[in-house]
Amino acid sequence: MLKRFVLAVGTLALLAMPAAAAKTYSHSKYFEHYEGTKTCLKCHMKEAKEFFHSQHYQWEGAAPQIVNSHGEKLGKRNTINDFCTNPMANWIGLVRNSRGEILTKGCSKCHAGLGKIPTAEMSREQLENIDCLICHASGYRRDLYKAEDGTLEWRPILWKNQVGLDSVSKRISLPKRAMCLRCHSGSGGGPNFKRGDLEYELADTNAQFDVHMGTDGADMQCIDCHAGQDHRVRGRGADLSGTDMPNARLRCDNDDCHGSAPHQAEILNHHTSRVYCTTCHIPDFAKKDATDMVRDWSKPFYHEAADKYSATITMGKDVIPAYAWYNGTTWEQLPKEPVTRLADGSVGMMVPQGSRKDPNARICAFKLHRGKMPVLKGKNWIIPIVVEEFFADGNIDKAVKNAAKDFYGIDDAQYEWIDTTRYMGIFHEVQPAKNALQCLDCHGPNGRLDWKALGYPGDPMLAMLKSSH
Amino acid sequence: MRLTTKIVTVVTVAVAALALTGLATAKDKAPSGRELYKEYCKPCHTADSPNGEYTPMTLIQDQWTEFFTKNYERTHKNVVDPKHDNAKVLELITPDMLKKIQKFAVDHAADSEHPMTCG
Ligand code: HEC
Ligand code: HEC
Ligand code: HEC
Ligand code: HEC
Ligand code: HEC
Ligand code: HEC
Ligand code: HEC
Repeated sequence: MLKRFVLAVGTLALLAMPAAAAKTYSHSKYFEHYEGTKTCLKCHMKEAKEFFHSQHYQWEGAAPQIVNSHGEKLGKRNTINDFCTNPMANWIGLVRNSRGEILTKGCSKCHAGLGKIPTAEMSREQLENIDCLICHASGYRRDLYKAEDGTLEWRPILWKNQVGLDSVSKRISLPKRAMCLRCHSGSGGGPNFKRGDLEYELADTNAQFDVHMGTDGADMQCIDCHAGQDHRVRGRGADLSGTDMPNARLRCDNDDCHGSAPHQAEILNHHTSRVYCTTCHIPDFAKKDATDMVRDWSKPFYHEAADKYSATITMGKDVIPAYAWYNGTTWEQLPKEPVTRLADGSVGMMVPQGSRKDPNARICAFKLHRGKMPVLKGKNWIIPIVVEEFFADGNIDKAVKNAAKDFYGIDDAQYEWIDTTRYMGIFHEVQPAKNALQCLDCHGPNGRLDWKALGYPGDPMLAMLKSSH
Repeated sequence: MRLTTKIVTVVTVAVAALALTGLATAKDKAPSGRELYKEYCKPCHTADSPNGEYTPMTLIQDQWTEFFTKNYERTHKNVVDPKHDNAKVLELITPDMLKKIQKFAVDHAADSEHPMTCG
């Protein structure tokens, strides 16, 4: 049967070749057949070695912006978040429901590798594990397959069609929006679930939706803002732990972008030392796909159509951001540290630092993600969840206990559920200037800002008007 | 209302047209390329089929175009469809249906924006 298939493909190969060969791609002349990453390594060993050390590959890196990191390297691997919690116990796997349909494939779905867990030591095997095509080849798509030895690995969906694979693997360019969005628009488990301002719509959109990336606007690629050097990307937002380029913060008011006085109206420029650009210029987000606003892991939710369990998730669309001071550093609820509560009683998973008194802080726009997470009784440590099996059986107690065992080595953990809050910076989906917030959106009655919470006795504009009388 | 029980005799273009209306009333609209693919291509090209597995995402767009413009007739000339009373595939599937199937296959090819099997 397999032979038959190969034959069919063989014939096709012959017949389809002229058409495929008629098109030339950037890498048409560099190799004949794509045989995995090793094909690229022949000429790009330097880039592969650089990429190996990146945050994108290691999922762990320097974290000087996390005020309580104590010099440790941090990242997805050794922290816990309130979305998919922690990837290590969920790295790869085909979880099926009672009908035999595949529910999830593991967290490595969003890793730029072919399935092996990244190691600190570099080796040939690890370099060959890098998936260059996911960021560099248009038309590339991968899926999870069982290798001959029974292990699972990510492979191009065209792995059985060499002619097709050879064509796609030669369509090499610097990363386009659609390539970055292959991962970034689906993080958190579904379209736009996680970020809210990184949705697939950005692959091909207009300036009304995003002035920077709209094809009738600046038509910028992600890397026009994010490219660093040597495969280190620039920019971490407010809620990532480790980061590639801690010393090169990516900001709208950097001198090579807009500077801090981009307006003709003096009064607007006067605001930029205290109010960040995003606050006025991103009035709302999640404009096409709804985003996950609340994820309650304590209440398993059964999706009948898909025969699958998930946390109970509350979605939001056209969401108005929350506003808080932020000076570029963040406090993180780390594992093995007793939970710390915010003023509202919830545990702050990622809390931007800064206040009105801090000259480096600005009022910034955030997505406030709320959740319910398990906490170990006694120690008060946050526990991750072995989510993969839970998707099939809905047994949350088992999923928490397995995670406590895996992550902390604790048997039969006793735990309780606590509310969590995560602040996530909003930086994309900048709208045309005419949609920017107007004076009364903040200074009017029912304005967007909670002056007291931000450290003002009241609206500073009213205070100024009063004092001038 | 299964199509196979409706169509009993020789397959002509007329009957193929009937098949279309049959599907149409069942679904209350003209069948989509996806439905047509599922009905007329998939049964012979499942994962364990000796004819080879073909879903839209088995091939890239260029290969599908090549197949429909150059190879389809030649490779399916002598093929009869047991699912449709052993009708000749080339007669059973009308040019209009084939056009829709082609569009579906190309739109969901392996290198398209949304690669798909036909479900
Ligand atoms: C035979 C050597 C060779 C092989 C094999 C090769 N490349 Fe290249 N690649 C080059 C050269 C030379 C350049 C620079 C000139 C150019 O852009 O064509 C380049 C450029 C690139 C660029 C930059 C493209 C741009 O538009 O600036 C990327 C990305 C890249 N290669 C990725 C890959 C990947 C991924 C593979 C494996 C599928 C691969 N290369 C295989 C030689 C090779
Ligand atoms: C997570 C996405 C990502 C992956 C995976 C990735 N790259 Fe890149 N690559 C980039 C970005 C972004 C740039 C441009 C900026 C830079 O160099 O950091 C780039 C640039 C390049 C360039 C051009 C370098 C230059 O100086 O112009 C080459 C060549 C390249 N990559 C090859 C590779 C190879 C080979 C692999 C696999 C071993 C790979 N990339 C994996 C994102 C990626
Ligand atoms: C106009 C510039 C610009 C463009 C274009 C852009 N970004 Fe960003 N992005 C930013 C800024 C500014 C930040 C915040 C950086 C910081 O504070 O460290 C950011 C943050 C991020 C982060 C960190 C997490 C977060 O959102 O807070 C990710 C991931 C990201 N961008 C991905 C992308 C992707 C993917 C694309 C393309 C679809 C893209 N960006 C396009 C400016 C841009
Ligand atoms: C294979 C999936 C994948 C692809 C493709 C991908 N990313 Fe990422 N990216 C991630 C993950 C996962 C993280 C978070 C890593 C962590 O927290 O340790 C991340 C983190 C980032 C960050 C924050 C990095 C930091 O140092 O703080 C930026 C910025 C970013 N990505 C931009 C991009 C851009 C631009 C592209 C396209 C060139 C891209 N990504 C392609 C998965 C991906
Ligand atoms: C207090 C709210 C506010 C803040 C803070 C703010 N802007 Fe604006 N911005 C506006 C308004 C309102 C307009 C439209 C004004 C107009 O049409 O003259 C505007 C217009 C603009 C324009 C278009 C200018 C033009 O001539 O078309 C740019 C670019 C811009 N802002 C960038 C920024 C950047 C960068 C920052 C941060 C350094 C920033 N803005 C901070 C409110 C703000
Ligand atoms: C995003 C909300 C926002 C918008 C929109 C906004 N402001 Fe303000 N405004 C503030 C904040 C915050 C302060 C306090 C700044 C500080 O701490 O110095 C402020 C302060 C002021 C002050 C007092 C300045 C001082 O030096 O004490 C005046 C006057 C004022 N704004 C006028 C305006 C006018 C006029 C507009 C429309 C063009 C406007 N604001 C738009 C948030 C906003
Ligand atoms: C009745 C069964 C049957 C039906 C219906 C059928 N095929 Fe086929 N198909 C075959 C057979 C038999 C072959 C030849 C296999 C071989 O020679 O190995 C074939 C070959 C193919 C090939 C490979 C052609 C080549 O050049 O090697 C493709 C692609 C294909 N079919 C697609 C389709 C599509 C699309 C449809 C629906 C429009 C379809 N088939 C309907 C039986 C069928």
